[in-house]
Amino acid sequence: MRVKIWTFALLFGIGIVIAFPVSSAWAQGAEGSVASRPVVIDDIKLTAQRAALSQLTGERPFILRESSWGGQLKPGEAKLVQIQLFKRNEYQFWFAVANRKAGLNLNVYNANGEMMKTDATTYDTSNVISLLVHPEETGVYYVRLSLQTTIEDPQRWSLIYAYR
Amino acid sequence: MNRPVLFAVFLAGSFSIGIGQDAPAKINLSDPNIVFVQGSVIPIPLEIFASLDKLGVQDWSKQVAVREIKLDTNRSRTAMLFGLVVSEGFIAVQAQDKEAVRGIGREVLRLAGSLGVASSVESHANSIVNAAGNSEWSVVRSELDKTRQTVLNKMAELRDDELVDLVSLGGWLGGTRALAAVLQGNYSIEGSDLLNQPDLVKQLKDDFNTLPARAKRGKVFTQISNTLAHLESLMRTDASGAISKGKVVEISLSTNNLVDAIYES
Repeated sequence: MRVKIWTFALLFGIGIVIAFPVSSAWAQGAEGSVASRPVVIDDIKLTAQRAALSQLTGERPFILRESSWGGQLKPGEAKLVQIQLFKRNEYQFWFAVANRKAGLNLNVYNANGEMMKTDATTYDTSNVISLLVHPEETGVYYVRLSLQTTIEDPQRWSLIYAYR
Repeated sequence: MNRPVLFAVFLAGSFSIGIGQDAPAKINLSDPNIVFVQGSVIPIPLEIFASLDKLGVQDWSKQVAVREIKLDTNRSRTAMLFGLVVSEGFIAVQAQDKEAVRGIGREVLRLAGSLGVASSVESHANSIVNAAGNSEWSVVRSELDKTRQTVLNKMAELRDDELVDLVSLGGWLGGTRALAAVLQGNYSIEGSDLLNQPDLVKQLKDDFNTLPARAKRGKVFTQISNTLAHLESLMRTDASGAISKGKVVEISLSTNNLVDAIYES
């Protein structure tokens, strides 16, 4: 019962996350800017957070960071997110877009630009993907996210992460 | 979407990959055509402490500091203090110090009030105080991160972008001070690599140096600039993958002096 209440509280808590999309400091990682900065529910981030839920409980739960990255991505386009990771920790990333037919790629590279070995997780819908990475050393890494050309429209995207 | 459907959507399959579909095995990071997402997420202290604790139990209680804060009209200093106090909260969580966390929760609210964003963080601050009383450390940790992020979001909404950078810088500084102090007291080559953050320091330094002059009024801001430049040279591993104890001591001294200066300025 306690777990159910906690899970519901977590769902509710992140469900009411209010985001200010694409401000320069939106979770310290967004792109572009908007004039009016409307307050909206960030449904894409919510999609990523829902996917993360199962990893946030259990014997070795991940700890989800409140920060995130977001922006707009065209089919066939790739972007890199720079992040400092710490050896001995495990990190899990979740990358989401709105269109459930979208195909996503998510990879992590080290400071030399070499792809890291990761454990990827796919979901029933292809608009969310996740991967687990064990940093070999403390330092800067690059998360590469891209949108496959299986759809035509640009997509708003969100990237979140958790550690343990 | 009802709950069964919601959870069905996220029934996951897991597999190992070395090379992802359509992704190159190696990328040239200096390729001018690469699109980098601007900005960064600053690691919170607990993220770093989690790694250090995997090397053995550390004594975080000595790093808990609840200081008296005298506020003035300098909003930039208040933003730095806000980041610092939140980082002190994370340290107190690590030390599981109830009273310190409760005091920090109240201080967070006072500082948020001075920055004009108290209403946005009030519920989180109250949750911090209540959860600390019940030793619900995971809740305290989560609420501290939410408090931090809520203030950053609110600052951005209010177009106080320079204050956003200063809150982040204050948070990073507080965590680094505690980490260096713990490593100084219990040095290990393995643990020292957690201070290997040259790119992060460079980015913080560059962000700070590009802030408008109006956001850096006061003597302490010159010290911040100088200290960041100094830390950039110290916070990188040598050929053996370690940061020497001498450098750890220097990092500890530099960050401690700067934290003192911000509190006392």
